[in-house]
Amino acid sequence: MAIMMPVPDQAVLNRRETIVAALRAIVPGEGVIDSPAEMAPYESDGLMAYRQPPMVVVLPDTTEQVSQVLKYCFEQGIKVVPRGSGTSLSGGALPLADGVLLGLGKFKRIREIDFDNRVVVTEPGVTNLAISQAVAHAGYYYAPDPSSQIACSIGGNVAENSGGVHCLKYGMTTNNVLGCEIVLITGEVIRVGGKSAETSGYDLMGIITGSEGLLGVITEITVRILQKPETARALMVGFAEVEAAGECVARIIGAGIIPGGMEMMDKPAIHAAEAFVHAGYPLDVEALLIIELDGPGIEVDELIKRVEAIAQGCGSTTCQISNSETERNLFWAGRKAAFPAVGRISPDYLCMDGTIPRGKLPEALARIRDLSAKYDLRVANVFHAGDGNLHPLILYDANKPGEMERAEAFGADILRACVELGGVLTGEHGVGIEKRDLMPEMFSEIDLNQQQRLKCAFDAQGLLNPGKVFPTLHRCAELGRMHVHGGKLAFPELPRF
Amino acid sequence: MDTLKVRDAKDVEAVVRAAIAGEQPLEIIGHGSKRLIGQPMATNALLDLSALNAVTSYEPNELIITVQAGAPLADVQSLIDSRNQQFAFEPVDTAPLLGAPNVGTVGGMIGAGLAGPRRIRAGGARDHLLGAHGVSGFGDSFKAGGRVVKNVTGYDLCKLLAGSWGTLAVMTEVTLKVMPRPESERTLVLRGLNDVTANRAMTAALGSPFDVSGAAHLPNSALRADISELGGLGSTREAVTVLRLEGIAASAAHRAAALGKLLAPFGTAQIVEDAASAGIWSSVRDVLPFAAGGALGSWPVWRIVCPPASGGALGEQLARDTGGDVIYDWGGGLIWAALPQKPDAGAALVRQRVNAAGGHATLVRASDEVRRNVDVFHPQPAGIAGLSERVRQSFDPKSILNRGRMIRGSAA
Repeated sequence: MAIMMPVPDQAVLNRRETIVAALRAIVPGEGVIDSPAEMAPYESDGLMAYRQPPMVVVLPDTTEQVSQVLKYCFEQGIKVVPRGSGTSLSGGALPLADGVLLGLGKFKRIREIDFDNRVVVTEPGVTNLAISQAVAHAGYYYAPDPSSQIACSIGGNVAENSGGVHCLKYGMTTNNVLGCEIVLITGEVIRVGGKSAETSGYDLMGIITGSEGLLGVITEITVRILQKPETARALMVGFAEVEAAGECVARIIGAGIIPGGMEMMDKPAIHAAEAFVHAGYPLDVEALLIIELDGPGIEVDELIKRVEAIAQGCGSTTCQISNSETERNLFWAGRKAAFPAVGRISPDYLCMDGTIPRGKLPEALARIRDLSAKYDLRVANVFHAGDGNLHPLILYDANKPGEMERAEAFGADILRACVELGGVLTGEHGVGIEKRDLMPEMFSEIDLNQQQRLKCAFDAQGLLNPGKVFPTLHRCAELGRMHVHGGKLAFPELPRF
Repeated sequence: MDTLKVRDAKDVEAVVRAAIAGEQPLEIIGHGSKRLIGQPMATNALLDLSALNAVTSYEPNELIITVQAGAPLADVQSLIDSRNQQFAFEPVDTAPLLGAPNVGTVGGMIGAGLAGPRRIRAGGARDHLLGAHGVSGFGDSFKAGGRVVKNVTGYDLCKLLAGSWGTLAVMTEVTLKVMPRPESERTLVLRGLNDVTANRAMTAALGSPFDVSGAAHLPNSALRADISELGGLGSTREAVTVLRLEGIAASAAHRAAALGKLLAPFGTAQIVEDAASAGIWSSVRDVLPFAAGGALGSWPVWRIVCPPASGGALGEQLARDTGGDVIYDWGGGLIWAALPQKPDAGAALVRQRVNAAGGHATLVRASDEVRRNVDVFHPQPAGIAGLSERVRQSFDPKSILNRGRMIRGSAA
């Protein structure tokens, strides 16, 4: 394992039996799992290269139980790793050898559907897709749509601030959640926000969203739901050069058009996808854009025309426009199956997740090509082009000695390039353990200290999900120390009034 | 009062560090346009950011703009308007309400986080702040977020900075998301509805697939002067309910017609187009009916945020029981209430009713004396209050920045 996790606390491990018994007193029956065989499914999440059996798995089904488990762990100094459906691609739910793995899988109930206020109040273990399904009969849906939406939990979505294909127009999780019930490590239960558009005071919901399980355990969420657009149509546009496709993306946005989704695939990704799903993708192009416009029919038809003209102006070599839902879904089929399609042409692959300014797409691709040659590993690229979110898939074979390490080094170089180009390390998958050690590429020590001080405000002993997000752990007392620099209010050089 | 006019982020660091050493709290201002909002502070030094007024970069095709915190909002809005772009959350110009001379700075806009009618569709200031540089109460420059729309790297500190009224950090530079300005707009006007019925009409509109980007209601009022405060909609003796549709002309017109049909049970809607429509919404956004220079200019004004479907009943009762006046935005989810003058500005009653509805209320306009005796921001349950204070201390343990502005009794 290339990533160092916190050293297990032997004193805690020695007390394992006592701890398991205490947890059983809180969560009765099958809610506490301690046999190695039964714990095996919890060893890993979507970042499957990393595995670690937890000390014990606890699956509470009430807020009260969550509160008591956390209070017990807090008092006993035991680490806790929260877990939703375990689909994290950054290792956010990787267990700790001396930690309790707290699964929220039993929180499976939608508590309230309130169409008048356009919200759903749900437990965290409900899947992303299940929320949309529960309100579909009234024409509503929940907008963020990570590609794992059939499996991923809404609690995990909040923890990771998940995105999806449509977040260019409809925002990420943070733009679509209004409130939550959260249990702090002390066991204290707090309600943040609710059905109102804004919370009072500091925007705690905003900081909890995307905090990767380091601040608290969410036991209820209030999400905003939207009416489904009347129609959606897609264009599938091929280009002989990646630069032209990049230019097309920029011009569409520059023309004031915000598509529901705007995706790009490069040649290796197109070929892999076409071989897998036979969507009719052109195979002689270097880049393919799938652009979806949604809204009233009259608007979509007009925007389709405008986008088509822009694409032609950028030298598109092929352009197909969907005329039915079947066709639209076919355009998407290849893109949505891109990851498994790549899985068919390579024993293993690593999925990266950097974001760059849209205008830097061609430059980023060129750099990735160079790195591919340098590391002698193939790469297929799929992008959420509309918001500059790259998903290079690095192809490797874990059975060949050294290839996984080479793939990881390649991936790290891609993310460094993203930061250099004015972007960020992760657009939607989270830092977790995967990008933890790259954080200093983007943030100074002062920046990271400020973030860790915030962590201290929620969890002063660092018991919740330690080893994730931050490359170096500091004691809260040390972070809170104030370095007083001499001098009073005396600035002769500053203009005064 | 000592005013320290900083020239760059280094100056800000130096001033904050000196303030820490001298245990002197600082009041942070741009143009001072919103100084009258919040608990009165006991500071004897002003940190003036108005000289940090440059546009660092504007990239229309990236939908982002980076500006220094002291940049005049009016100038920045003209700049992005020249490229047919806008801040989609429609920042409120509080100048008319507070009687301030201008709309203030971009930093003030974010610090206050007051969003206008389009919040129901486009989100608030917090949803448009992509990145920030600032100086914390430790006297250290730090950055939050980035310069791209899609970013989950580390904690989303930008969310905390938006709406923190300068109590967490002195922002020196911010990166904001800009969005294309709609090509055209239509407003449907319904007349004569009472508040609860209007709330139902707005709920129906917002529950339709027609992408409504504004839903406001102005009850009839004998209190307000009969001026052209609503973009020329006419007499204040008749209630008006307004619903906005934006987009390309054909689409806005199509949806306006469809929405008119849907709302037929509430009456026949008049349709107002483009410039006239825009006039209505800027009046709603800036709460012009309660302007400082108007008939209710001396009354305290509350900003109440509540679950939208309960707004009509809450506002109607509040107006009746206090003899005050209310207007509704966000489909009922935002109520502006001007109440007759009282020593507590009606706080006890407002807070009791608002709590029962699951909302919160901020006293946006009141005299110094009233604000000294009333919680300007909504008092929070102990758990949230405690957590919020720990969060504040993680940025500013010595309470150097805008000490006591958000919490009554903490200014000393």
